[in-house]
Amino acid sequence: MKKTSVYSFLLFIFLLVIWEVTSKSYSELVLPAPSVIVLTLVDGLLSGYFTQHIQRTAAEVILGLFFGGVAGFTVGVLMGEVAFLRKLLFPYIIASQAVPKLALAPLFILWFGFGMTSKVVITALVCFFPLLENTVTAIQLSDIQKQELFKMLGATRLQTLIHLKIPSGMLGILAGLRVSVVLAIVGAVVGEFIGGSEGLGALIIATQAMMDTALMFATLILLTIFGMILYLTVSWLEKMWMKRLKKEI
Amino acid sequence: MTEHIVLQNVYKTFSKKNHSETVALEDVSLSIKRGEFISLLGPSGCGKSTLLNIIAGLEKETSGQVLINGSPITGPGNDRIVVFQESGLFPWMTVLENVMYGLLIKKVPKEEAKMRAMNWIQKVHLGKFADRSPHELSGGMKQRVAIARALVMDPEILLMDEPFAALDEQTRMVLHQELETLWRETGKTVIFVTHNIREAVVLSDRIVLMKTRPGGIKNIFSVQAARPRNSSDSILNYLETRILSELEQEMEKVLKEELGSDYALKKDRLHIDPHNNLGSDI
Repeated sequence: MKKTSVYSFLLFIFLLVIWEVTSKSYSELVLPAPSVIVLTLVDGLLSGYFTQHIQRTAAEVILGLFFGGVAGFTVGVLMGEVAFLRKLLFPYIIASQAVPKLALAPLFILWFGFGMTSKVVITALVCFFPLLENTVTAIQLSDIQKQELFKMLGATRLQTLIHLKIPSGMLGILAGLRVSVVLAIVGAVVGEFIGGSEGLGALIIATQAMMDTALMFATLILLTIFGMILYLTVSWLEKMWMKRLKKEI
Repeated sequence: MTEHIVLQNVYKTFSKKNHSETVALEDVSLSIKRGEFISLLGPSGCGKSTLLNIIAGLEKETSGQVLINGSPITGPGNDRIVVFQESGLFPWMTVLENVMYGLLIKKVPKEEAKMRAMNWIQKVHLGKFADRSPHELSGGMKQRVAIARALVMDPEILLMDEPFAALDEQTRMVLHQELETLWRETGKTVIFVTHNIREAVVLSDRIVLMKTRPGGIKNIFSVQAARPRNSSDSILNYLETRILSELEQEMEKVLKEELGSDYALKKDRLHIDPHNNLGSDI
């Protein structure tokens, strides 16, 4: 295990070196060297140039994730629990799955303006579906015998939901959240691409116009780091839950 | 002793997709006394679990009547708790939380629920494991928790659906003794579903031998051996042989249906199985 992480690190260094060497034979506009990118990144961070953009994108992602997540989870639980709702809404859910949700971004900008609201709505929408789908399935999968036991104990429907169906579906729900988190960043960035002057997505568009490719790469690195932090947080939550169930991963 | 559970001409049919019907239980009549230990014994497909589910209130009989203390069953209730084969413990709760959960639902105050749960956990000898997670326990320990979880509700009737089927022979023997002790202490009425002849003979006051296709009662045996039971008791051994010989016809019927009419059961070789375990998949 230890050895592979060493190899993985060595591979990273090796790729960086190749990149550095290759970039010598190209213009900095096409392929800036890693050393230049790192300098730009550090410089931007220290001068506070990135700060407002990071804050903006982070706020959009977190708000979108929150609203989309809460809505996806709630609707998912309701649809998983109430067969009538499930049958009523499922055609719409399937139809909305087929719609490329990011293609709706221009529409939302039209509706909600160039400010933060439109980006939060786009982000919330892309977060909504994975969590919804996973929750609907996970809620329905709890063990029949355990459900029967709850019936015998005289548990109410709400008690069964909270103490049996949601905990036993938690892994599925968290897997949905993991997908949502990754999509949240895509949602926010694409929203900023289409309309906006602040945020890391808007910055990428701006660097293209300024032909500052090194800055573009630096922004991409920031987005990657941000995505990894969110992803690792959800993985950590999953691990904590697993630890509680004490199942080996 | 009074009649606790009375089944009168109970039928259960399941309709299949092609509109034909399977008769799971045909004309089952049985009365069970308060405090009696009854086994429902038979190969798979004899409707023993269906019968247990009907008494638990989880399934409804197609016709006939099931009375508990003289009144018909309206649904599941915590006067009848089932212990399943897989203990069905909640993996996200500790042993103590598992056992006290039913009391909390009944709105028993937390401190009292905890005390009562601990009492039962100690009775099944898991006092040291109250704060552990189910995954840390062996199969036998999990079944102990399941038994404690059922008994803490103080049900009148304990329904056991092959609770020890997944355990190894040694663990099962120990749990037989413990179950007998707990039953004698509490005086609960126990209905115990099993396909293991030995288990039925060792534990029961009466054994209801069930038949297949259609499911129903084939015969009822009283076990008149002294308690606590001693597994070397000759009465038990004799009864075991008798039940096995009655079952041979049933087994032949099932095998013929599954493997074709040219199959001949070699009856004299049936005794090789040391546990007289009918298996769940013959």
